[in-house]
Amino acid sequence: MNTLKILTIKEKQNIINKLKNQFGISYIKGIFVKRGTERLFLFTGSFTVQQVIQLENSLPIERVGIYFGKEQNEKIRLSLEGVHLLKNQITKNIFELNKEQAEQWMKGHELYIQTRKNDFLIMKYNGDFLGCGKASAEKIGNYVSKNRRLKEGDFLD
Amino acid sequence: MTTRKRPELKPLFVERMKSLLVNQKDFENYMNILKVLPVKSIRCNLLKISPKELKEKLEKKGWNIQIPWEKYPEIMIVQSDLEPGELGRAKEHLLGDYYVQELASMLPIIALKPQPEDIILDLCSAPGSKTTQACSKMNNTGTIIANEVSLGRIKILASNLERCGVANTIITKKDGVAFCKRIKKMEIEFDKILVDAPCSGEGTLRSSPKTYVMWNIKTIKNLPRIQKNLVTSALEILKSGGELIYSTCTHAPEENEGVVDYLLKEFKGKIKLEKIELPIKAREGITGWQEKKFSPEIKKCVRVYPQDNNTEGFFLAKFKKLK
Repeated sequence: MNTLKILTIKEKQNIINKLKNQFGISYIKGIFVKRGTERLFLFTGSFTVQQVIQLENSLPIERVGIYFGKEQNEKIRLSLEGVHLLKNQITKNIFELNKEQAEQWMKGHELYIQTRKNDFLIMKYNGDFLGCGKASAEKIGNYVSKNRRLKEGDFLD
Repeated sequence: MTTRKRPELKPLFVERMKSLLVNQKDFENYMNILKVLPVKSIRCNLLKISPKELKEKLEKKGWNIQIPWEKYPEIMIVQSDLEPGELGRAKEHLLGDYYVQELASMLPIIALKPQPEDIILDLCSAPGSKTTQACSKMNNTGTIIANEVSLGRIKILASNLERCGVANTIITKKDGVAFCKRIKKMEIEFDKILVDAPCSGEGTLRSSPKTYVMWNIKTIKNLPRIQKNLVTSALEILKSGGELIYSTCTHAPEENEGVVDYLLKEFKGKIKLEKIELPIKAREGITGWQEKKFSPEIKKCVRVYPQDNNTEGFFLAKFKKLK
């Protein structure tokens, strides 16, 4: 793992502000950790920042907490798990899918839907949160990782 | 029950199992259950969904769900005939609502009883079934350190932790003994530790037929050294009053009671064995094997045989560090 960068309170608040604008998320408990230049992790454990740093200085740390999103063009693209962790606070930019669209989405396909938005959208079907997509003029880009996709030939229910 | 043809057992293995299961009927039951495919068991991920909601969701799909242990409603058996791989391909699995886990493999965490705010070490944690189970009980509070030495297995571990929404865990990559030495220098101590040690895997014959081929006595003679070193090191970083579960998925006494007996001698006056409460039929640890005699305390250990509960085989010991 690249060296951990534990975000300061100000840096964390900056991320939360972006999430508030994008999705209405206003509060996240835990330590924010950055890996590389973009990937954001959330650690909700009881270890303090000092303890995590102490651990990192002595042992090879592969991961701290959970990958919850990525900084992309001044915005945050939530991961599938980021969406799940924060779903109770998400009030904006939710896109409701029908069954056919949800199946295509879960198979990793882009959805050719004109949403008239140019933003990250939270995909939802029948109460289930299915991750985050990038809406552009013609389509919604799909970020469901390969190991979380439905196999071709499989159905939602 | 669905049966299948199994590979030929090695004669020495059969002889050893006969010595463990001296009652002829018991031994026959053991041999017979090896031909039966294990039940399809899953564990509801309490971080994402309640057992009631998950059961309803799965029943809506047409699956027949049974809760085998009333006290643990998150543990479920899928009784329907499913396509091969269907459990792992279902939407609910992809979204992390449940984890596919063999019933006996859930016992170490049931015995460890993780509580919110505990500081827990899972020393040999990949692929993450027990780490995710502990976290599910801790509601993403406290801290779990999930250590694993193999990079390939860490990838699987990280993927499983992510799918299950585990956010209170730090994954480290280090040989278990070296990990404990470093931690000791840092003066970090754990409330609870799980050492689910690498073992010869005799208990997994039903789900992993390759064990029939891989089994050999040399491995059984060599593994206890590694197992003893792992637990010895782990006990050094356990808090006073803390608890450690040592578990294996094998029946071999050398890797089980033999290791526990060694530890009781090595840490005399510093640790004690605790009784383990489990929701299944379990047998006492044995107090002798071949020419060796073990401490009578070892009866507090638990042997889980496949024929007793229609599970895989397992062994557990629970140590408490004295104040």
